[in-house]
Order: sequence, then structure tokens, then C-alpha cells
Amino acid sequence: MDRRVAEDLIDGQLSWPQLKEILFHPKDPERFQVVMDILRERLGWKEPVLLPLAEHLYVVQKGSERVVRCDCGFEFGDCRENWKTKARVFVRNDESLLLEIYPQMMHSDPEWMELREFYCPGCFALLEVEAVPPGYPVLFDFEPDIDGFYEWLGLPLPSSAGD
Amino acid sequence: MTEARVFAIDAGGTMTDAFVVLEDGRFAVGKAQTTPDDESKGVLRSFEDAITGLDGDAGAAAAGLAATIYSGTLMLNRLLQREGEGGIGVVTTAGFEDVLRFGRAFQSYAGYPYAERLHARSHGYPEPIVPRSLVRGVRERIHLIGMEMIPLYEEEAREAVGYLLDRGVRAICICFLYSYQNPSHERRMAEIAREVMSERGVDIPLYLSSEQNPVRGELPRLNSLILEVYAARPSRLQLVRMRERLKELGSPAPFRILTSYGGTVSPEHEWLVSTLVSGPIGGIIGANRLGDHLGMDNLVCADIGGTSFDVGLITEGHHAIRTEWALAQFVLNTPMIAMDSIGAGTGTYVRLDPVIRRINLGPDSAGHRVGVCYEAGGVDTPTVTDCHVVLGYVNPDYFLGGEIRLDAERARQALKEKIAQPLGIEPEEVAWGIIQLLETQMRDHLAAMILGLGYSPENYHLLTYGGGGPLHVAALSHGLQFESVLVPSWAAAFSAYGCACADCAYRYDRTVDKVLPPDGSGHQAVAGLLRSAWSEIRERLAGELRRDGLDPERMVFRPYVRMQYRGMLDDLEIPSPSAEPSVEDLDAIIAEYERLFERIFARAAKSPEAGYVVTKAIGVGIVPTEKPRIPELPLQGQDPAKGSMKGRRQIFWDGSWTTADLFEMDRLQSGNVVVGPAVVEAPATTLLVPPGWRAALDKNLIFRVEEV
Repeated sequence: MDRRVAEDLIDGQLSWPQLKEILFHPKDPERFQVVMDILRERLGWKEPVLLPLAEHLYVVQKGSERVVRCDCGFEFGDCRENWKTKARVFVRNDESLLLEIYPQMMHSDPEWMELREFYCPGCFALLEVEAVPPGYPVLFDFEPDIDGFYEWLGLPLPSSAGD
Repeated sequence: MTEARVFAIDAGGTMTDAFVVLEDGRFAVGKAQTTPDDESKGVLRSFEDAITGLDGDAGAAAAGLAATIYSGTLMLNRLLQREGEGGIGVVTTAGFEDVLRFGRAFQSYAGYPYAERLHARSHGYPEPIVPRSLVRGVRERIHLIGMEMIPLYEEEAREAVGYLLDRGVRAICICFLYSYQNPSHERRMAEIAREVMSERGVDIPLYLSSEQNPVRGELPRLNSLILEVYAARPSRLQLVRMRERLKELGSPAPFRILTSYGGTVSPEHEWLVSTLVSGPIGGIIGANRLGDHLGMDNLVCADIGGTSFDVGLITEGHHAIRTEWALAQFVLNTPMIAMDSIGAGTGTYVRLDPVIRRINLGPDSAGHRVGVCYEAGGVDTPTVTDCHVVLGYVNPDYFLGGEIRLDAERARQALKEKIAQPLGIEPEEVAWGIIQLLETQMRDHLAAMILGLGYSPENYHLLTYGGGGPLHVAALSHGLQFESVLVPSWAAAFSAYGCACADCAYRYDRTVDKVLPPDGSGHQAVAGLLRSAWSEIRERLAGELRRDGLDPERMVFRPYVRMQYRGMLDDLEIPSPSAEPSVEDLDAIIAEYERLFERIFARAAKSPEAGYVVTKAIGVGIVPTEKPRIPELPLQGQDPAKGSMKGRRQIFWDGSWTTADLFEMDRLQSGNVVVGPAVVEAPATTLLVPPGWRAALDKNLIFRVEEV
């Protein structure tokens, strides 16, 4: 993939016909590398970035540890643990709170479902929203198998050689 | 050199085909690359190509023309590439301003390849042609049976027109709910718009849905108006330019355009949206005529072009008309000959999925850029044509009669690098596999279409045409047990030939939506309604012919209804025995409907207990035109004529190279039999006769292909 196209893809600047073209075709083998190069360059961290995890969040090789880090620099700790346990949470579980973001009559029933907004303690960016029944355990989105992934890609794991 | 009489054009995405019928009934075919920027160039070049083939002079030949017929993808491309004319304002019933944006769910994947249809992630709606800011609602309401429920709010109507004019619109489309049942509000709206415009001293065209397309369904009705303004109207200039260029060449013939329903219209026709899809239609018209001549009632028409594989069925001598379809993801309700396409043609790209290492075909194609073998085309992804070249089926020095040189080594190299090496096999084997895959997809598509209608291939003759048709005909029919398999020697220009067979015809559909109770109590009323609808339609069609300078007295008027069982969703088109139907005629229509329903669906699904609904009254006004004669030649011996054999070439077939006889198609004579392995070459196409197959050229210059 062309580097400029990849940048527009990351920034959400592609038109629907362009995006559709990409979706319809098999992923080109270099895509991950191209995207990672852009992300690494933009973040400018000295530790190697292993994987983008979610919007704003990345898995970074820090010494022997693999940690989840927000693009503001805040660290959530080991990527095998749920980063949400370190995040700030705001729960919308009554009508007045839901009406802050929904028009009248258009929101869910707070008895049945609540919205949990997870914010980064460092920059207060909204990282994720869970829509779950009240009392439901906090979701652990996934634990990435990073070694397996790189093996599958046929790429070497980025080392800390640049340190 | 005799003069040309009919010149038919099929301007596809890849090639522009010319089909020229001569004074003495013979015909010549020509081919040139399509020139999208100014199609008249490609059109003239293809005409010259056809005439040069006869050692004639284009100017002299053009002087004798009696008819020129165009079909092509001009308007369609304008729509697909969003290069139409904007500035369209819409006035609709208040509360329904968003109908256009909402669209219909199936639009989000209409025309998608199967794999992408399954993935909601790739579904998406097209950007509306008219932005929401140029849609104005006016309060009014007509009930579905036509009575006025809410009067037209005239102040709002004035305001809406003023609002749109302030924003500089260049045309206004008016589409109110149920206006096809009662057009009074749309007409009053147009009057008001004219008043406002004259006060302001502006004059822009108004399009009324109740006038142009009085058919149920406000979304497709409005879409068709918008596409008329957006894509069809600006294309008129290109069409007129083609007519001018032909006139300069010396042609005195009227210039007509093939419609999706199979008749031809003039560029001045106010409803050019009916010509949006015309390319593949020609083939069906041609097949219909061929079938009539040969006494074949059931034909499968398979058109393999550069970009797609189109299949249409002729059953009991008739092709079906479809009235709801999508084009470039817009829903339309204009009539079109039913055809199904898949994106598989000779220019289709071949790729290797890097992850699962599976070969994928298309759905996109190289179009007029042919493939890697054509260096000037600038393509670096191999195409099906590259496979043909590698396998020795297509002669690289005789593509388009040698006009374009193909480089077999380039094709081989590209296949090797991109596909064969990663898979660890030889390029020939990969090419062979790709062709197998393509042919399997095509064969499945054919079988599905025929079986889906409750028929089986044994009931049909297979007619294959298009530039790629003769190459794949053997594999396509293998295992399907068609009654017979036909390849006209003019296969490459068969769609253009079909164009030349089309009559000058205008068609007008109008929704009726009236119930015929099973006890016959509604017959009288419906017969009266149909009488008045058909008399109005006939008047309208006569007007079209008068504008074209044709005598309406010569018009053959064909009345049809569309009807369905009450409560069902799919209607069928039934001819009426009379344009002034009596109660008995209605019984005859019902009987025909019952017969057709049983054939197309199933006897068990018949449900006359609830009665019937007559959904539409349709009129087609036809002025028969001169048509190409089908050649009739005396049969010669079975041995290929002297001089027809050009030599031998190695072709790759089923795992090994074998020596095939090479023939020049034009030199073969009626009665000659070509026994495979053989390749019959013509400038615009190649007939492949595999080992174990034979092709006999009959007295009509049609190859009858069969397995020995």
C-alpha cells in the first residue's frame, strides 16, 4: 500500500469508494509494516511499538515487559491485564445522564443497560464505551498473541536495538 | 462494393463493435478500441474498419445508410464516474424529503460480488445525487386510490420553488406520493413553478413523475427522473455529436439509440434514461431473431465480453422484462430485458490471495487495456486474456486482426511472477487452472439461471457470442446437455448485430393497481380502465413518432398488462389480445397469466381464490425497420475449404501441449467441419475446438459445436 494512502486510511480521510476498493481486495502483505512505520514515526517513542490495540492505545516493548500505552504517554501496565482497571470510568445509568447525549425517548432503559465510558487518566481521551446490563463484569477485550502474530506475518519482532 | 444499409454500434467498455449490413444482405463487422472521451472517434473508426475489410470507402458506403443504431455504456459510465450534471432540485411530499437518502436496503450491496455481499462491513450507500439541501417538501396528499386527502399548500409550493431557484438549480424534479393515481397536484405544482419562474425571469426544465414515469414506488420513480437529468440529458450532446460526425461522412440515415426494453428511440426522446443500459440488450434481440429464423423457441444467450458475462433467456420465443432493478446502486423501475451478469470476462484480473493462496478472479477488469501482454495498456496484473495467450489459444500477432500486438512472453512472465512461482507450479498449468475456474463460475451461473426458472438445460439451445464466447463455448456447455450449441461466425459483433435487428419502438408503462375479484365482478370496470389507459398511451407514443418524422399510421401498437395474484409480490407481463379489451379479452388475459405462472413458478403456488391485481398497463408502439438478413448459403463438403487452413500451433490442453490445426474463419465455407484440436481465428474473435470436439459451419454461417 502506498504510504500516503495508508496515512489517509489512519486519519479516516479516504472517500468511501477508495475505502471500498481496499476492503474488496485482499490485504497486501506490506500493509502492516507500512502502517506501523507511520504510527511509530508519529508517536516518536524510543521503545518499539508492537501493536496498535485500540484507538489511542498501543502495546509497547518496554524492556522485558509489554505494556499498554496511550498516545499521550500514560501507561496502563502489562498487556495481559485489562487496561480498563487503570482507566477512569464514567457510568451513565440514569435517565438524566443518558439525556445528556441522547434526544428524548431515544436512549436505552437504564434498568436494562448502562453505558460505561473509559477515559485515559493522562489525557482524558475517551478510549472505549461498554454498553452492558448493570452489574455485568468489565469486559476484557482481548489478550493479543503477539509472538504468534509476528510469526504468522513472517516478520521479526521489533527489538529495542534503537534504545 | 455495394452500399451499406444498416450500421449498428455496440460501444462497450473495452471495444466498440460495428455491424454493417450491406445492400445485398451480407454483413461486415468492424472493431475499434472504445474512446471514452469522445466516443464518436471509436464509432467512426469501427465503421471504417468494417468497410475497409470489404475494400470499400467509408464515405461512399455511408451514403447508402438507411439506419444507424447505437448501444453502449456512455451514460452508464457518466453515472458510475459521477460526471453528470448536478444542480438538480427536488420537490416532494412534505415528510418524505429523506426518501431519496434512505433508499432501499438492497441498494447497500446491489451489484456487489458475492463475497462482498456477505460482509456487512463493505456494504454502503451511494452518495445521493441530489443533496438533502436541494430537496424541499410541500404539504399535500393523494390517497393510494387517487382521491385528494390534503390539498396542495400553494404558498409552500411557491416558497419551495423560490428556495430552489435561490440556490441556482438548473432543473426541478417533482415527485409526490401516489401521483401516478392522480397527477393533479404535480400538475398544479408545475403551474406554480412556472409562475414563480416567469416572475423571476428564469426558465429551467421541470420533470413530473406522473408524466415521465407514472409507476408505483416513489423512490425508483424519483430516481429515474433524477438520472434522466443527471446522466441522460448531458449524454445527448455526445449522441448528437456522433450523429453529426456520421452526417459529415455522408450518412443520410436517422441516428437511433437502443433502449433497455429492446426498441430504438431518437436522441431527442425526453426519456433517455430508458437507454441507460443498452449494450448487452442487443444480443438478446439478435438471439430472438435468430431463434425465430431457426425455429428455436428456447435459447440461452451467453455473452462473454471483456468485462462481464451476461446471460439472458428466451423462453417460448419471448424474453422476460424486469421492472425493478438497481444501477450503480440506485433503484430503478424502468423496464429492462431481464439479464444477469457476473464480473467475469476476458479482461478480468487474476490475483493470488496472499493469505490463503487462492486464485481470485476479478471482479474488476483491465477493460480496453487488455492485459499484461499488451504493453501499451500499462497493466501489471495478469488477466484472463494473458492466460489465453500463454496457452496458445489466442494468436498474439492476430489480436484485432493484428492491429494490437500482444507479447506472449510478458504475459508468461507476469503469470509466473505473480501466481505460478508463489504456488510452485508452471505458468501453463496456472493459466489452465485459471481458465477452468472461470469456466466453472460461468457454467454454474448458467445452470443456476436456467434451473432457477424451473427449466433444465435440455430444453434450451445455447447461443454464445461476444469476443470471448467462442473461446469458452466448449467448456461452457460441457456437462450441461443443451439441445444444441451455436456460435454465429459474427459472434464478436453479435450484440451490434442485435441492435441492427431492433425495431424503432417506444414503450410507456403506467400503474393501474386494480383488483379483479375471482367472481369476475371487476372485469367491466378494469376493461374500461385499460381501454382509456391504452388510448392515452397510444396518443403519447404517436406523438413521439411524429417528432421523429415517422408516420404514426405505420405504428403497430402492442398492449400489455402486468398482473399478479392478489397478495403476491411478483407480477408477470401478459400481452392483451386487444387494445380495447372486452370482458372476454380479460378472461383470455387471465388464462394466459395462469399458464405463464404455472410455467415460471409452480402449479402448487397458484392461488386464484383471492383474485388478481392488474398492476400496470403498458403500451409499445413499434415501427418495423429494415433488418439484416440471415445468410443462407449452399452447403459445401465437410472438409475445410482449400486455403482455410493456415498452419499448426501448439496449444496447452489438460496438462500437455498438443498440436492444433489453425483455420481462418472467413475462409471456411458452409458445411465445413473443423475437428479438434483446432483453433479458428478471426480478427475479432477466436473459436477454440478442443480435442474431442467438432464445429460444423451450417448454411447460416453458424458454428454448431458438439462433443464427438
